[in-house]
Amino acid sequence: MRTYLSDWWVEKVNLKHVWIVFKKEVKDIIRDRRTIITSILVPMILIPLLNILVGGNVEKLNRDITENITVALSESSNTEEIRNLVKNEVIKDYPNISLIEVDDPIEAIKESKVRVVLDFEEDYLTKLNEGKPFVIKLLYDKSQTKSEGSLGFIWDAIDNFNRKIVERRLDTYGISKDILTPAVIEESNIADEKESAGSILAMIFPILIVILMSSAGIAPATDLVAGEKERNTFEPLLTTKPSRLSLLVGKYLTVTLFSFITVIATMVGVIIGYVINPSSFSMGSGTNITGFSIPPVALLLVIIISITLGMTFSALQIAFSTYAKSFKEAQTYLSFLMIAVMIPGYATMFMQPKEIPVYMFFVPVLNALSAFKTVFGYSIDYTYLFYTLGSSVVYVIISLWLTASLFTKEKFLFRS
Amino acid sequence: MIDIQGLSKHFDKVVAVDGISFKVNKGEVFGLLGENGAGKTTTLRMLATMLTPTSGTAKMAGFDIINEPEKVRGSIGILFGGESGLYDRLTAEENIAYFGELNDMDRNRIKERIKELAKVFNMEDYLSRRAGKLSKGMRQKVAFARAIIHDPDIMLLDEPTSGLDVSAIRDVHEFIKRCKSEGKTVIFSSHSMDEVEKLCDRVGVIHKGRLVATGTLDEIKSQYGDSDLENIFIRLVGGKSES
Repeated sequence: MRTYLSDWWVEKVNLKHVWIVFKKEVKDIIRDRRTIITSILVPMILIPLLNILVGGNVEKLNRDITENITVALSESSNTEEIRNLVKNEVIKDYPNISLIEVDDPIEAIKESKVRVVLDFEEDYLTKLNEGKPFVIKLLYDKSQTKSEGSLGFIWDAIDNFNRKIVERRLDTYGISKDILTPAVIEESNIADEKESAGSILAMIFPILIVILMSSAGIAPATDLVAGEKERNTFEPLLTTKPSRLSLLVGKYLTVTLFSFITVIATMVGVIIGYVINPSSFSMGSGTNITGFSIPPVALLLVIIISITLGMTFSALQIAFSTYAKSFKEAQTYLSFLMIAVMIPGYATMFMQPKEIPVYMFFVPVLNALSAFKTVFGYSIDYTYLFYTLGSSVVYVIISLWLTASLFTKEKFLFRS
Repeated sequence: MIDIQGLSKHFDKVVAVDGISFKVNKGEVFGLLGENGAGKTTTLRMLATMLTPTSGTAKMAGFDIINEPEKVRGSIGILFGGESGLYDRLTAEENIAYFGELNDMDRNRIKERIKELAKVFNMEDYLSRRAGKLSKGMRQKVAFARAIIHDPDIMLLDEPTSGLDVSAIRDVHEFIKRCKSEGKTVIFSSHSMDEVEKLCDRVGVIHKGRLVATGTLDEIKSQYGDSDLENIFIRLVGGKSES
């Protein structure tokens, strides 16, 4: 093993050559407007933009559902008497619900003028006075989010109306209204603010980091090996002084660098998005994220694990790019690699940090996902984080070894 | 300057080059003649240390291609046929300088050398233009300069004129003559008899991985009793393929 290492890594990698290759590749990529747009500008702008668009829409929808709820009475129920009953008894305590007059109530729901139409039973008044139940039909349109969303508020208003009537009836019999509620429920959330906020981040951030890490290197990795083969620059390059490993390391470092730049650009995007619209990250749960903080050591581990993840992906991307005969073939392989990463990402998206089995901290990709989940979910266990770190380092070594073997084998290098 | 000893290359069961041996003296232009798939490119790739021989070896400028590949690469320049592969987003000058740096030249020397070469190849006007914006002819000149930026002792040219138009072919021929006048040792492969007759001091005919004839043009012509190289070539190659 020692001979092997000294043979390949010490004697054959010349840092001066690595630096020359790295410098040139970085310069080359920086001049490629397409790569700069896809790896830096898009990630930086996309999330804030989505936040403004989606976040704004979700908020407006929420506001619309809870505020300005319009109801109408069906044609048969539209009498002075019922109107007064609804106004003065049913929706009196609900300033967000208003009763409006429409010509065709059913059409009005379809046209979104009215959310729900109330249809009272014909002899409701007799039944009400006799203390018998009567029926109020609620007509709504399930295909309309706002109509369906408002239904709960009408239910609530009618429940409230029922309770008032029952209380009045009990009062006439001289019975206390307490008889209606033998047990009073009091609920209390023992998760602190940080954990609640964290559980949302634990869902979004791990998958976001992993997918970005796996996709960010695609453009440079494709360009740096398969692209060179296609443009006929690879053969002249191989006949210059540097060893293949020096060339490989130079290219590898470039891909890794651009993966990080993309991830940093995305994180900047996330922060901008948060500043623009903080509530968009709570996904409607109402939990505030501002109280969230990660201990510095855990944050450092997250960064180191992200780096190892980026290094592994960069190595694999270069390996695929080396194996590919053409630019297009490389792109196909690399999109498969990204899909292979997305599957475990989405499969574990809703897994709670505390439910993660130990083995997951050792499986490639899942280990990083799990580690990020525990940190962002605020249930940090350093033993597990070090499991992830250790296994990640092993995967970096394996992926580099694989790529180096591929890159130095003429069978793959000159595949045609 | 070049001493090839029993060089062979097998790709799985296919024998691409089969025990080739020949020498090329300093300052000589050696033409490797052969049909497509005869083993010319594989031979040149082995000499350029891109492929490892299955058996045999070669000494290039005194360095062994198996044990001292880095030193071999430092003493050779290559020009492979077809489209000149340049980095389109780098300028012509940056393209040339990159290869100078990779061959361990210092910056001042690279600058001087580029100035020199720009004059030789009339590239002064477009040195600072991006390679992607250059015409085919301009790109070819940049590729010439790139190949000899480090002033190599040996030039390996693999079918350098294939797919080129008449004026580009003439430029390549001029380039080979220039290399010779500078005392460089040149091996170039071709399947054009005219080209070989025009430029080479000695030739080797390669067929199915074997060297079937070698010598100066006059030697070969008198050996086969024919003054037409093409006839001799057909006899060597055609005869063998029928057997």
